[in-house]
Parts: sequence; structure tokens; C-alpha cells
Amino acid sequence: MLLAGCGGPQSTLAPDGPAAQAAAWLWWGMFVWFGLVLLLVASLWLVAWRRRPRSYDAEQARQVGLRWILAGGVLLPGLSILVLLAFGIPLGLRMLPLPLGGPPPLRIEVTGHQWWWEVRYPETGVVTANQLILPVGQPVDLELASADVIHAFWVPRLGGKLDMLPGRRLTMRLRADRAGPYRGQCAEFCGSQHAHMVLAVEALEMADFNAWQAARRVEPAVAREHAAAVRAFRPYCGECHRVAGISDGRRAPDLSDVGARPGLGAGTLEMEQGAMRRWLREHQRLKPYNGMPRHDRLPEDTLDAIAAWLETLVP
Amino acid sequence: MRPGHPLQLALGLIVWSLWLVAVYAGLSLGCLSVRPDAGLGVGSWLNELLGLLTLLTAAWLFGCAWRLWRTPPPVLAARRFVVRVGAWVHLLAAVATLFVGLPIMALPPCL
Amino acid sequence: MNDTRNPERLHQDFEAVWGNPRGWRALSAVNHSSIGLRFMVTGTLFFLIGGLLAMLLRVQLARPDLPLIDPRTYSQLFTMHGSVMMFLFAVPMVEGLAVYLIPKMLGARDLVFPRLSAFGYWCYLFGGVILVSSLALGLAPAGGWFMYVPLSGDAHSPGVNPDFWLLGITFVEISSVAGGIELVVSILRSRAPGMSLDRMPLFAWYILVTGLMIVFGFPPLILGSILLELERAAGFAFFDVARGGDPLLWQHLFWLFGHPEVYIIFLPAAGIVSTLLPVFARRPAVGYRWLVLAVIGTGFLSFGLWVHHMFTVGIPLLGQAFFSAASMLVAVPTGIQVFAWLATLWTGRPLFNVPMLWLAGFLVIFVAGGLTGVMLALVPFDWQVHDTHFVVAHMHYVLVGGMLFPLVAGLYYWLPHFSGRLPSAQLGRWGFWLTFVGFNATFLVMHWTGLLGMPRRVYTYQAGLGWDLPNLVSSVGSFVMAMGVVMVLLDIGLHFRFGRRAGDNPWRADSLEWATALPPASYNFVSLPACTGRHPLWENPALGRGIAEGRHGLSIVDHGRRETWGSDPLTGQVREIIHLPGNSWLPLYAALVLTLVCLSLLNGAYALAGVAALATLGILLRWSWVNGAHPLAAPDERTQPGDPPLHSRTFDGPGLWGMGTALLANGVLFFSLIFAWFYLWTVAPKWRPPAQSPLPELPLLLDGLLLTAIVLGFHRLVRRLRRGEQRRLEAGLWTLAGLGLLQAAWLARILVAMPLAPAASAHDALIATTLGYLLLHCALAPLFSALQAWRVCLGLVGERAPYEPAVVLQWWDYCLLVFWVSYFALVLFPRGIGA
Repeated sequence: MLLAGCGGPQSTLAPDGPAAQAAAWLWWGMFVWFGLVLLLVASLWLVAWRRRPRSYDAEQARQVGLRWILAGGVLLPGLSILVLLAFGIPLGLRMLPLPLGGPPPLRIEVTGHQWWWEVRYPETGVVTANQLILPVGQPVDLELASADVIHAFWVPRLGGKLDMLPGRRLTMRLRADRAGPYRGQCAEFCGSQHAHMVLAVEALEMADFNAWQAARRVEPAVAREHAAAVRAFRPYCGECHRVAGISDGRRAPDLSDVGARPGLGAGTLEMEQGAMRRWLREHQRLKPYNGMPRHDRLPEDTLDAIAAWLETLVP
Repeated sequence: MRPGHPLQLALGLIVWSLWLVAVYAGLSLGCLSVRPDAGLGVGSWLNELLGLLTLLTAAWLFGCAWRLWRTPPPVLAARRFVVRVGAWVHLLAAVATLFVGLPIMALPPCL
Repeated sequence: MNDTRNPERLHQDFEAVWGNPRGWRALSAVNHSSIGLRFMVTGTLFFLIGGLLAMLLRVQLARPDLPLIDPRTYSQLFTMHGSVMMFLFAVPMVEGLAVYLIPKMLGARDLVFPRLSAFGYWCYLFGGVILVSSLALGLAPAGGWFMYVPLSGDAHSPGVNPDFWLLGITFVEISSVAGGIELVVSILRSRAPGMSLDRMPLFAWYILVTGLMIVFGFPPLILGSILLELERAAGFAFFDVARGGDPLLWQHLFWLFGHPEVYIIFLPAAGIVSTLLPVFARRPAVGYRWLVLAVIGTGFLSFGLWVHHMFTVGIPLLGQAFFSAASMLVAVPTGIQVFAWLATLWTGRPLFNVPMLWLAGFLVIFVAGGLTGVMLALVPFDWQVHDTHFVVAHMHYVLVGGMLFPLVAGLYYWLPHFSGRLPSAQLGRWGFWLTFVGFNATFLVMHWTGLLGMPRRVYTYQAGLGWDLPNLVSSVGSFVMAMGVVMVLLDIGLHFRFGRRAGDNPWRADSLEWATALPPASYNFVSLPACTGRHPLWENPALGRGIAEGRHGLSIVDHGRRETWGSDPLTGQVREIIHLPGNSWLPLYAALVLTLVCLSLLNGAYALAGVAALATLGILLRWSWVNGAHPLAAPDERTQPGDPPLHSRTFDGPGLWGMGTALLANGVLFFSLIFAWFYLWTVAPKWRPPAQSPLPELPLLLDGLLLTAIVLGFHRLVRRLRRGEQRRLEAGLWTLAGLGLLQAAWLARILVAMPLAPAASAHDALIATTLGYLLLHCALAPLFSALQAWRVCLGLVGERAPYEPAVVLQWWDYCLLVFWVSYFALVLFPRGIGA
């Protein structure tokens, strides 16, 4: 029952990587030990309060006090924290991006924006947004940066969090032990839409991962029925959004593979039939104050055409 | 400072605070002067330096605690109180120095 | 000090000197009981506002994807909830309680700076109203109570919202620091005769340490707020990476304050526990020395923990480990306190009543919060739960459990003081159980919500993440808790009307505050008793009657002065009679013009702000003028035969200690500024010092030498005054004031002539700020000295009243210190680095 309550797409207690696993073990250990300590202190208090009073002279009381203070106030916390530190420090060290024996791990650059994630694979030049695809079983070094305010990168089932600071680049080492989807979310308050800054993470087998990258290195072709949509898109949306081979905007998420992503608006909407159309029409209602202007100036059928085209952007 | 001076109640922990500032600043400056990729591992000169500072500080604090403990009890009750509690404060500061300094033995400095 | 006199007659005589004026003139009252109560009533009102905000937050989070509150409003609500609870409720509330209780516990008639308490209250009230009014205007700050940059910088928060926070909170902090200074000096210098350090009530120890923590803890945030406001309003660069600043500087300054703040809130509450438990266990506290050790230890250790709020910013693991270990170490002094309390209970004959219920609730909740605190101190675990609801739960366990529960226990305990009546038992039990159950329902579950991965400060969440049920439970629990709070307030409100009359010392307590009348008279004690042990009222239960009959010290009031004992900080032996200032409008006026400064800064009316600042200075100087031997203060220096002299006729008095403590706080502010300089120099990613320093070294050096000469001259004057030589005092003071003016003018010239671009580089911005700080201090010093010269001329200062020049001397010494430290940091250090 207790363990069933531990699950969840973003639960720190359902770990699937070494860093998260270690933190979860720390939790369970501390939970049990500190639970006992709390029980002990509370029952001592209750007994002391409700038992039949006995009389102590000043010297006896001093003795009792000294014994209790030394045992409960000095030894108990002193030993507990010594043990904790002995466990905690080596575990923390193992979570750091230390040099590995073999080849250096895969690097991925993740940049936080208000309120979306930019993800770049520097070795292949692949760019995507709001989703992070990893090879399974491999250590990966994420280079974290921010384009505006402070954000924090956090995929609880894989490991702890690290801030994304303007002007700095911090490295986080993660490893996913099982293929499948994970959920990440910005953990440092970054403004009104901090709640809708979700990162869809997926760990793929190495072959799938390579195929995923390869597919994204091919520029998408535009079918004839979408030519009008592309013409409308380029001068208007293209100012901020990049679509490989079509536009070069950098201010907003890269849309080159948007049709293949699991969601829209950094976790605001799930990608399903009609989601893109809904997003384009209602995004300021769904995710108020997001950086994209309302599209009231565009005729509705143009908007729908753009949506229809974007949905086809599946490498 | 005289053993019965009221500032004895704070002196030990003031020294502890200065020590903490010194090791934290020393660590930052040390790591600044050598890049982290210089391969400073556990037991590097920086660890040794910080460790030495820690040991010296702790030894001095233990010494103070011992000195106060051995002071013949002053006549004035208030001074007796200051000497006794002052000894404990120094002891607490010494233990705090050693405990907070423990990680110096276990961690590389600049990662 | 002798035979029995008619208590009624004595009361009337004292009331004539000490009483508060009636009607709207009561606003000029400075009495510590009135001010303390005002603090507490105002704090309760802000608590209700903060609580209401919390209810709104819980409503919005009750179900996933609720569209009730707009995200921007939600950010404003949680920012204000945190800010109101921390700055407008918790700190002022405990300070108010201390202001009310400390003089009574020490056997004194008032705090040593009554007008400062009044000023502090007005600053708190006006600052709080400014801050809260932003909510009504829809302009509330929305960057979180921690105001991280760059989110709260002008690029990402262009409106006036963060300015409300920066100015309002700084205003409130003036009040907190003033209160801290005043409590420290009062505890050190105005205790009952014979109340040596080892006989001091434990509560006074807790408040002494808390006061010192305020003095050291608040200035870093005041500096941070000043720098951020300068960056937002004047475009100075401090936190902007591109211009050589660093957002992490803000985090350091904020948490240098922010962590001690938690203990500033907790320690007074623990002091309440240490006061109440022995009374209800009907035996002295076990381990007095251990408790004192624990309090001192906590006070210091809490300053070595601030980086544990920054474990995710990429500091080297070894650096994090230091702070991790230090954070865990706090468990030891806390454990000592908990087990000393347990032993007190164990060896006593405990009672079962409403305050004890709240203390039991405190113990369970606070120990749980302390234990999760140790968990959070463990770096690898913190990386997971940092900034999740786990931390929200932990922090409420520590703050509500550690502060609110003891506070309510304390309020019940001291109610007879406020009303002369006892509370009911039935309603009080209901209030406790509802609050206790509601609190745990809200926050125990919230640990789980956090472990399941829910971040803090999100205005909504999706269904299906496992967060729905725990959030619903928390929201329901919060309403149960709110009912409990209402019940408690109802109980307290009703008792003023229906409570049983309390007799003398209704709880059979040991400390001197129960030797007053209930409710106490404005002067607390007609005569001031000597202290023979730690438990005056247990040693002599009839003490109160003797006090009222005027059997003890300072029971003559026909001179019209407000008097209390000035005692030795260690032994508590009487050294002088402190004469206290009476009711005055000056504190209110000063706070009003400061409000004007604040409002004009908010509206960008900088000229008006400058005028108002000068007006403030004028009022403060007028305030300082009517002191000492001034006809409105204590022109008559005669005392009763056998009594010591008035403090203004000696070389030592509370003002000297007050100035010293204030300069300590000021010094912390200054060293935080110097820290910013060194920090950016070593850590800022794009710090670029110019090849050629803009500082003119030689003129600055000569200016410093002139300052040194002046200060040496001032020392000579004070030394001669100590020897009783008044000759040439006035001329000397005038000369030094003139030279000081020259020195300050020279410094101003240097500052103006320098080619600085504070808007373009953090390097120049810090130089400009540091020199501006020096200039401000160096300009005030000659002003103070000239006023002293004038007072000598009027006969208000001299060999018969030699006290004040020594106070001004401290200011001069301080100027000298900060000048040369700045010279080292700004001139010599860069040269050394460059070479």
C-alpha cells in the first residue's frame, strides 16, 4: 500500500537511475531512523507528562538532567549526523560528473527559457525543444544554462536537480536504467508560468536513439497542400520559431519535429488530434502570459492551415 | 582575555565562525587559482592546507576549553558561571570545527 | 527604600510621571507595555492577512488544473504570504512580546530607549501597510519572498511590484534592527540589582542572543535590498552577469540573512518554552547552563548554514559539505534543549492545562520539523527534494511548530497580564485540537506530495501525477487549521469579557513579571527590588506586595524623572540611574517623514525623497538634542543620598552601548558590501576590472590621513574630559568639526571627479556605492561634533555631564575603520592582484 503510493511519473521514490536510486535509499533509511527518534521523544514527553510525579531533590534532578542531556541531546544527534555524513558524502561524490575511465559521455545542452526548454545535441547538431531523448544505460552529461532568469533542471526519477543560471554552464550527470518516458519539470520559480515548464524525457535503446538523431538531420520536405501555410508561417511565426530549412528564429522553441513531440506548450497540452489547432487559437488562455502573441490578426483558416502543416512535422 | 570575562561566552564560537569563513573563502580562492581540471583529488595540497587550518583551530579551541576548565573557580558566582559555560562553548566550537571539517578528508576540493 | 507607604498614593505619583496620555495623544506614548501590545496586535492582524492568502493558495491547489486564480495573481499571493508571515508577523510578534516582557522580567521599569521602541513600531506599521497595500492595488511583488534576481530585476519585473517589497521590507527591517539593539542593551545594562548573568531568566538569555542575531543577521539583506533597488532605479550593475555582476551575489546576501532569520523566529519561541515548562512542571528548569550553552551555540551555528539554501547552484561539493555538516550540527544544541525540557518535565510535577497542550503540540511538530531539517541538510537528498513541497512541509513544521505553537502557549500564559483575567479551558482545548489536527493534515501529507515530485510555487498541476489526493487532503486540512485559529482568537477575545479575574501570580510563576499588578501599571514596579536568585517569586512569594508598598529601590518620583537602574552587564550590580525620556511625538514624526521617503522613492520622485530624507535627519537630530542635561530631559542631577549618579553625569550609559550595537549592525552592512566586492572579483563570470583603476590613490590617501588626525584629536579631547578638564573643549570640538567638514568635502570632490560608469560595470558600481557610504558617514561625523560643541556652549555637555562626546567618538572611530578597510579593498587589493 505504502509502496503503491510511491509511484507516479515524477516521483522521487520510483527511481530508474543510479542518482535517484541513491537518494531514494537515503530517504527510506532516514525515514525509518528519524521516525523511531520522533516516536521515542514524543512518548518520553507523554510519559513524563502523565505519569505519577515522583519527588527528586536538587541533586537527583541534576543527575537525571545530565544523563538525559548527554544521552539524548548530545550522543543521539551526534552519532546520527556522523553516520549520515559518512553515507551522504560518498553518495554525493558519485553523483558528480567525474571523468570516466572510458570515452567521455554524450553531451547534451539544455537551456532554460521562460517557459520552455531548448535542447541541443552538439555532436550531431540536432535541435529540439521541450523534450529530451536519451540513450538508455549510458551516462549522459547535460550542460545546463539559462537564457533569461534562473531555472532548475529536474527529472526526479533519474536524479536530483541543478540550477540553470544566466552566465554559467553547469554540468549534470544522469543515467536512465530503463527505456521509457520520464517527466521533468522546472524546479526553480521562474515567473508566472513556472507550473507549465515540463520536460518530456524519453530513454531509448541505443539503436533507436541513433535512429532518432539521424531522422532529425534530414530537412523536412513540404507537401504541396501545405505551401500556403508555409508562406504564412515564414514571415510571421518564423521570426521567433525555427523550422529546419524554412525559418531561422531563435527566440521561441524550434518546431522542426514538433509533430513528433508528446505535448505542446511545455506540458500544457497533450499532443492529440486537434491539439495544435487548439493551442494556436487559445494558447494565451491555456498558458497565460506565455511569450507568444495572440494570433487574432491571422484569419482563422490560415491559422488552421498552419496547425495542419505543423502536425505533419514528424521526421 | 581573562577567564572570567563575559566575552568568553562567545569567543570560541567567534573563532569557529572565522574559521568557517576562512576555509570557505580559502576553498574558493584555491580553486580559482588552479582550474578544476588540474586534477586536484582528495589529499591535494588544498585539502592539506584546509585540513591543517582545521586541526590548528580545533587544537587551539580545545586548549582554551582546557585552560578554562582548569581555572580555579572565581569567588564571584557570575564569573564562575562564565568560566564554566565559556569552557563548554570552546569545547562546542572545537567539536564543531572538527565535524564541519570532516569532509576535507573525503572530498576533492574543486568539483 | 524604607518604611511602608500608601500604595494608592505611590501609584498616583508614579502614574503622573509614567502614564500614557489619553485620546489621540496616546499616539505619542513610548511605554514598553503599550508598544509591545501594539506590536502584537498589529502582528496578529498581519497574521490573519497572511493566513487568508494561504487559504486562497490552498483553494487553488485543491484540485488539478483549477482555473480559479490567475497565475500572476497566484505568484503575488505566495510571495506576499511568505513576506507577510516572516517580516510582518513572525519577527515583529516575537519582538513585541520581548519588548513587553523583558523589562518586567529584569525588574526594570522600561526598555532603555523607549522612544526608539515607539519609532520601531511606527516604522513597522507604516512599512507593513505600504507592503500590504500593494496587494490591494494589484501591484504586489510576484518574485517569491526570496526575490531572486534576475527574475526580480527590472528586465523581468519592469513594474513597481518589486520596489514595494524592497522599500517596504527595508522599512520594516529598520524597526526589527532598532528592536534588536534596544533589547540587547536593555538586557545587558538595566537588570535588577544583583541579577548577574547566571541569575538571568532563561527568556532573557534567549532574547539576548536573538537580539544579537538580529543585529548581525538583518544588515546583509538591507544591503542587498539597497543594491537591488539601486540596480532597478538607477541602473547600477550588481547582479547582471553581462555587466560583471552575478545573480548568486543576491542569493548569498539574502540567505546570509534568511537562515539566521529562521532562528531569530525560533529562539524567542524556545525561550517561551523554557519559561513556561518549569512553571507548569513546578520545578526550576533542569540544565540552566546547558540551555544557555545551547542558545549561544544555536545563535552562532545558524550563521554558518546559509549555503544549504543554495545546494543546487553548482558550488563545489566540498564547499557544500561544510554547510551540510554545519546544518546537521544544529541538531546538537536543539537536542540539548529538547532533552533538558524533557528532564524538567520528568523530574517535576507537571500540570495539565491549555498552555501545556500547546507545548506538547510544539514538541511533536517541532521535533518532526527538525528531523526533516537534518534530512534536507544531506546534500544528495536535498538535490531531490529542494524546491519541492517537501521543503514547504518541513518549513511549516519548523515555523508553525517552532514558533506559532509556543507563541500561543505563551499568549495563554501571559493573558492575565494583558487583561487581568484567566482564559477558559474548554474553548482553548477545541482550538488546540483543531489547529493541531488541521496542521498535520495539511503538512504531514505535504511531505509525500513533495516526494512524489511536486515542485513549489506552481499555480496548478496536471491530473494523473499522483498529486491529486494529497493536495486535496492538504487543502481540507488547512481549513480545519483555520477553524482552530479562529477558535483560539475567539477564546482570547471572549476572555476579556468573561474570563475569571486573576489573582496575584495566578500560575505560581517564578519570574519578576508576575510581581506587577495585573494588568501592570505603566511603571511596572513602584520600587525596584534586588534579585537574590534565579527564581525571585519562588524565593519570596510576597515580593509583589513589598514592591507595591515602595519597600525597594528608586521609589521616589517627585523629581519627575522616569528612572530605572543601570547595572553592570556581568554582575548586575547597580552602577548608575538611567533616566528615560518620556512620551513624545518625535518618533511618530520621524516615521512619517520616512514613509514619505519611501513613497516618493516608489513613485520615482527622487527630489522629494531627498527633501524628506533631510527632514528625517532634522527630526532625528532634534530627538537627540533633548537628551542628557537638556531642560526637557534631566536638568536636575540630584539623586537620593546613597543612590548612584544619573547616567548622563557619568561616562557610561545605555546610549554608549546603543551606539556601539548600532555600529555593529552598520558594520555588518558595510562588510557585506566589501564581501560583495571580493565576491564579484573572484566569482562573477564576466568581471572585468579596468587596466587603470579609476581611484586617485594619493588624494584618497591624504584624505584618510586627515581623517586619522581628526579622530586622534577627538580621542585626546575625550581623554582630557575623562580627567575632568573642560578647558578648550568647545574650541576643540568646533575645530574638529570644521576639519571633518573639509575632509568630507574633499572626499565628495574625489567621488565627483572620478570617471565612474556604475551603470556599465559592477566594478564601478561597487566603487561608487562604497565611496558614497564613506561620504555619508564622514559627512555626519562633523555635524554630530558641531552639535556637541554647541551643547558645550549651552552648558548641556561638560565636566558635569561628560557623557555624550564619548558616544560621538564611537562614530568617528567607525568612520576611520571603514575608511581604511575600503582603502585596502578598493586600492591596495586590486594593486596586489594586478602585480
